[in-house]
Amino acid sequence: MSSWQGRVRRTLLLTRWRTVQAARAVVYHWRASLQVRVITSTLVVGITALVVLGGYLSDRIRDGLFDQRVQQLLEESARSTQGAQENLSASSVPTEAEVQALFYALIRALKASGSGEPEVWLRRSPGDVPVLVNDVSTADRSLDVLITPELRTTVRSDDLQRWTSVGIPVLDGGVDPGVVIGSVVNVPAAGQYELYYLYSLRPEQTTLSFVQRVLALAGVGLVVLLGAMTWLVTRQAVQPVRTAAGVAERLADGHLAERMTVKGVDEMATLARSFNEMAESLEDQIGRMEEMSHLQRRFVSDVSHELRTPLTTIRMAAEVIHAARGGLDPAAARSAELLTTQLDRFEDLLADLLEISRFDAGAAMLDAERRDVRDVVSRTVEQAVPLAGRRGVWLSVDLPEVPVIADIDPRRIERVLRNLLVNAIEHAEGRPVDVRLAADQRAIALVVRDRGMGMTQDEVEHVFDRFWRADPARARTTGGTGLGLAISIEDARLHGGWLEAWGRSGQGASFRLTLPRRAGIVLEGSPLPLVPERDETPVVASSLGAGLDPAGLPDLDRLGA
Amino acid sequence: MRGRILVVDDDVALAEMIGIVLRSEGFEPLFCAHGDEALGAFRAGQPDLVLLDLMLPGKDGTEICRLIRAESGVPIVMLTAKSDTVDIVLGLESGADDYIPKPFKPKELIARVRTRLRRPDEPTPEHLTIGDLEVDVTGHRVTRAGQLIPLTPLEFDLLVALARKPWQVFTREVLLERVWGYRHAADTRLVNVHVQRLRSKIEHDPEHPEIVVTVRGVGYKAGTDGS
Repeated sequence: MSSWQGRVRRTLLLTRWRTVQAARAVVYHWRASLQVRVITSTLVVGITALVVLGGYLSDRIRDGLFDQRVQQLLEESARSTQGAQENLSASSVPTEAEVQALFYALIRALKASGSGEPEVWLRRSPGDVPVLVNDVSTADRSLDVLITPELRTTVRSDDLQRWTSVGIPVLDGGVDPGVVIGSVVNVPAAGQYELYYLYSLRPEQTTLSFVQRVLALAGVGLVVLLGAMTWLVTRQAVQPVRTAAGVAERLADGHLAERMTVKGVDEMATLARSFNEMAESLEDQIGRMEEMSHLQRRFVSDVSHELRTPLTTIRMAAEVIHAARGGLDPAAARSAELLTTQLDRFEDLLADLLEISRFDAGAAMLDAERRDVRDVVSRTVEQAVPLAGRRGVWLSVDLPEVPVIADIDPRRIERVLRNLLVNAIEHAEGRPVDVRLAADQRAIALVVRDRGMGMTQDEVEHVFDRFWRADPARARTTGGTGLGLAISIEDARLHGGWLEAWGRSGQGASFRLTLPRRAGIVLEGSPLPLVPERDETPVVASSLGAGLDPAGLPDLDRLGA
Repeated sequence: MRGRILVVDDDVALAEMIGIVLRSEGFEPLFCAHGDEALGAFRAGQPDLVLLDLMLPGKDGTEICRLIRAESGVPIVMLTAKSDTVDIVLGLESGADDYIPKPFKPKELIARVRTRLRRPDEPTPEHLTIGDLEVDVTGHRVTRAGQLIPLTPLEFDLLVALARKPWQVFTREVLLERVWGYRHAADTRLVNVHVQRLRSKIEHDPEHPEIVVTVRGVGYKAGTDGS
């Protein structure tokens, strides 16, 4: 029992699922295609109109046919009855047997003379003189029920003709429409009799059915025609729109020379012309912007050249003077030293400025290769060791045991890491700096964490700004160009990666670089947390840093965008 | 190791400064400030090395590079202010052996010049075979079936480095150190461009090299069989 119910339920569920799927498909097509929508609406309206009109027409035709036929039958039967009455009145048959015979003859004659051979009944009205002559009829006895007592009462009530609609049972079990017409005749010596005719309306029914069939056929034809017309019309209207959509897509894909073909002078041609004008202006604009970008790049390149050549001369001259400073007086010797160190700074600044303007001009190119990121990290950390030694900072490096292969531009990633490391070491105040590398299927993450003076939330928000310095008062003494992190975040973006910062006053700062392992991977998360766990921070000394308020964390999305 | 060095640069101050530095290291500088005169100065001076600025009035650096290469294998070092990839590759492809990006320090300049002028003094005659080539290391000659194949000193050094250890695959970084004298990882395009140039001279079909073979993802090695 339960298994049977289960099967039924499963079947029901399956059916429902299929229905839902079909409904979804329909809804999808409905929403996706203007043509489907127009055709469907047209068909719905068309079919409704045709059904109403067809119903009304067939109704009117039926009524007309019926009324006309009944009128004709009433006239015919009235004539027959009058004839029969005259016939009966004229006869002078004395015996009952002869009256009976006359009755038989009469109804046969009446049946034969009537159109469509009606069945005829001759019934004696009750409550009159004693029974002398039996009722006669041409019809099968099963049809006697059609002469209902109500009808007979009505017929007897006056001398007029009375009629009613009936259903005639036929042999195959169906019912033919018919009418029964009754009136009263007086038989001399036998009293009052009622004369009934039963006419079949089968021919009219056949005619009506035929007309209805023709109407239905015409309706179906009209609907098909309507559908086809709508399809054609919408196709004419929709096709140019589709073409326009296709061309627009090609334009969006960067094929700026794509145009629509303009045919004729109709609305579609106007659309195509306007569309082409739009594409033209778009192409112009983009061309102009490309040219500007090209000019900008040329300018940067030229400035670079023009600046670098004298800078090289100055640099070499400074080195020569610097090398000979032993023979100079103290002031000149110190000047030579200052000249050399500040030239270094100037050169770094120039290099960073050029790099930033290359990013701004969109001229920065990713020179990616498949590399083990651990090698890049090790090499960069090694280069930072002397600086860490001078600052008394312990560098702890945590690398995975297995190779961390990713598509990176080693020059850029080294630069980012170098920036982060130098920043961390310079702000670490002698406390340890951690470097951690981790990877998952999609991404690699590199976190550089210091436990120095840290940053406030406000500072975190500006840390990637150009020429922004956490502490303006001491900015000039620590060196650096002020562009390091701005370049680093551009480098990360060029890889399709993130560079994010976290900081707390007195707790230090943490920077996380997240890169996709392959070009084209869109980052969804990072293998390493940016915010250090609490037990990991043993040097919480500040009164401000009593606890980590999650609500006070910087907006990472904004930083990593 | 003293040599004549032709400095082709339109910036007179820089040229003079380079001259001062070169002279202080014992080299003998020659100067040329116009692209159109560079080839004449080269022919007249017969320098051991050319320092060539890429942006020059008249003929530009790459053109001069090509002209000098057409008649001599003398080392050419470009001085580039543009760090644009295209310009550097273009310069290397037109025959320069190395490049120094501006601004450079005197020490860098001297180091690059020394490396290119360095002649390894092999006391014993050394003959190597690579593919169907005969390499006379001491005589600085490469022959195929008795016929001399002219190579620049740099191309020769590259070929010798590969031929000496035919069993070893050289990464680009190692080759940069052996042949160009770079201690730190530098521009690996130097290797790519010069391997192409070398192949175009020694391979039967440079599209399908058999003497200097690429090992995908690693580097280059000498072909085991000269077919």
